[in-house]
Amino acid sequence: MQKKFWRCYVCNDIHWGVKPPDLCPTCRVKSAYIETPSREARTILDQPLADGPDFSRDDFRRAIETFARDNEFRVNPDPVKVESLLDGLFANEENHGLKYCPCRLRTKEFEEDIKIICPCHFPAHETYKGQEQGECWCGLFIKR
Amino acid sequence: MLRKIMFHGRECPHCKAMMPLVEKLIQETGIAVERLEVWHDEKNADLMRSFRPAIAAKCGGQLRVPTFIDPDASDVMCGEVPYETLKAWAER
Ligand code: SF4
Repeated sequence: MQKKFWRCYVCNDIHWGVKPPDLCPTCRVKSAYIETPSREARTILDQPLADGPDFSRDDFRRAIETFARDNEFRVNPDPVKVESLLDGLFANEENHGLKYCPCRLRTKEFEEDIKIICPCHFPAHETYKGQEQGECWCGLFIKR
Repeated sequence: MLRKIMFHGRECPHCKAMMPLVEKLIQETGIAVERLEVWHDEKNADLMRSFRPAIAAKCGGQLRVPTFIDPDASDVMCGEVPYETLKAWAER
């Protein structure tokens, strides 16, 4: 199943997937997505960077809190653990291009390695699934 | 002498938790455990990748850290484990 880029012809939202969304989540228009070349999609997505990192540590902290809020898991309340993991994620981004999981190593194969961008799909991990006190492999997210 | 490797990540909490246990193991048993950091050292990372089939088979299909491996027997164990488990692995 080959993923492709899709662009909303109304509001220019970009979707990367096997199929286009039926309904645009931003402008709520139906059947608005057209298959689009990756150069076009990337140009739209690649907004000019402000000075400094475009997503700071605080931005990331806020993003994971917001993400966890409506889920059955939360960010680990242990600040020492969380800060160490953020050190690793930001070091990996700086040295290797993306926020790869500090508790796994990238293989250098694209399809494999995008599975370890944080947050990964950890509810599938055996450290989480079916566990009463489940957590992601690193312990950044824990079950409520 | 038995040679063992621990692959670890500098910022990985499970790796940090295992470090004192590995120290204790080395002191108690004299088994040499090479501790190789993989996110800040590409040479170590490539060495870990060279064991990918053996590691992935035991570690959820992935290159997880910490990973304990005997490079000859390809005896692999990964994750945070109690001292007794670590010792049993080292003495196998
Ligand atoms: S295991 Fe946890 S820290 Fe690692 S990528 Fe997944 S969510 Fe992030």
